[in-house]
Amino acid sequence: MLLHLILKDLKIEMRSKEIIASMFIFGLSVTLIFALAFQVAPVMIHTFAPGLLWVVILFTSVLGLNRLFSLEREEHALWSWVTAPVDRGLVYIAKVISALIFVLISVILFIIPFFIFLNLPTEFSFFQFGLILLLGTGSIVSIGCLISGITLQAGLRDVLIPILLFPSASPVAIAATKCTGFLFENKPLTTWNFWLLILASFFVIFSLFGYLVFNKIVEE
Amino acid sequence: MTFFNKKENRIHAALAILLSVINIYIIITLKPPNQAQGIFGNIFYIHVPIAWSAFLLYFAVMVCGIFFLIKKSIIWDHRGLAFAEIGTIFMFLVLTTGPIWAKPAWGHYWPWEPRLTTSLILFLIFLGYFMLREFGGNPEQVSRFAAVVGILAFLDVPLIFLSVKFWLPEMQSHPQVGQYFDSASPTPTYLVLYSFLSLLVIASLMIRFRINILTMKDEE
Repeated sequence: MLLHLILKDLKIEMRSKEIIASMFIFGLSVTLIFALAFQVAPVMIHTFAPGLLWVVILFTSVLGLNRLFSLEREEHALWSWVTAPVDRGLVYIAKVISALIFVLISVILFIIPFFIFLNLPTEFSFFQFGLILLLGTGSIVSIGCLISGITLQAGLRDVLIPILLFPSASPVAIAATKCTGFLFENKPLTTWNFWLLILASFFVIFSLFGYLVFNKIVEE
Repeated sequence: MTFFNKKENRIHAALAILLSVINIYIIITLKPPNQAQGIFGNIFYIHVPIAWSAFLLYFAVMVCGIFFLIKKSIIWDHRGLAFAEIGTIFMFLVLTTGPIWAKPAWGHYWPWEPRLTTSLILFLIFLGYFMLREFGGNPEQVSRFAAVVGILAFLDVPLIFLSVKFWLPEMQSHPQVGQYFDSASPTPTYLVLYSFLSLLVIASLMIRFRINILTMKDEE
């Protein structure tokens, strides 16, 4: 059933391509603005790049989550969504997985122009970079899906998601930026595994919390 | 019936006023422990107990949230809201007294000290909490959502604190607190505890007053 719930989101996205396309183009536009704004100091941009990358990912995630949950509001889909014959926690897990897939695809798409535009060095372990991206976006998405579920029927949902998400995800912003920074400087993993651990614990804690409380959130 | 018509509430209020007047008198007339900081050093006796109370109140929000989700009784929602409101007032005071103390102690108003930063992030999450309370949808749902956000905020505390603590490794955590808690002269410790007690009496009065109003509104 979990697979069906994920496939449902993927199928809708395959047909419309609106979420990934809008996230990718948005990420690209923000990258362009950053590249233009920091053009004066090419040296400084290497210091700032990890932070910029995660700001872009955080912003695009908000955009994607907003769209992904809007799907459930259109044409009274919410009703059939919450009456799916499964535990509500699974509904949440399915949303986290599909959101993670969408965010990761769009990140992979705009990260290439991000590196090209900002002239960043690329001599680092791609496996570790992938791990950071996975854990970082996973953390953002795990708490983001919870908050999107909460604000699903709120009047001010477009504003409420970032207002609640950004401060709550501040440990992710710090830890992911630190990881990426150390990776770009080619520091050995042992010096910064603490930050990976923070990301992993954030991911685990909030996924479990979401799994536990999601049935309280979407009760009818 | 209004709150202050009851005798025990009047006694509670009188006790709160008496304890805080004595507290303020002691703090103002006390000889500053650190000549370099001057009288500003004494803000310790108000800043630290307020911070303890604020975190305690936010912890109570989480406890109320858990009870509300389990028992679904509206009184836990009222309690949660009252704790959140008073906690946010206290947190605001922490964020005001912190910079006042930081200026003479460190030379600048905002030192990104881990505890102060954690307070700021929590304060921001709770601003979102009140936005959600106000614009979240129908009241019955909003109570559940608010309970979840209250739990989420406190779950975040250890991660925020850890990540902010190691974010700027050169930033020591309250370097001058040690000079107050000296085993040779226990007076400052007692003073802090006394100040904490008087603040708890004020906080409990405010909370009971708030719960009283919320319950009365409900009965109408």
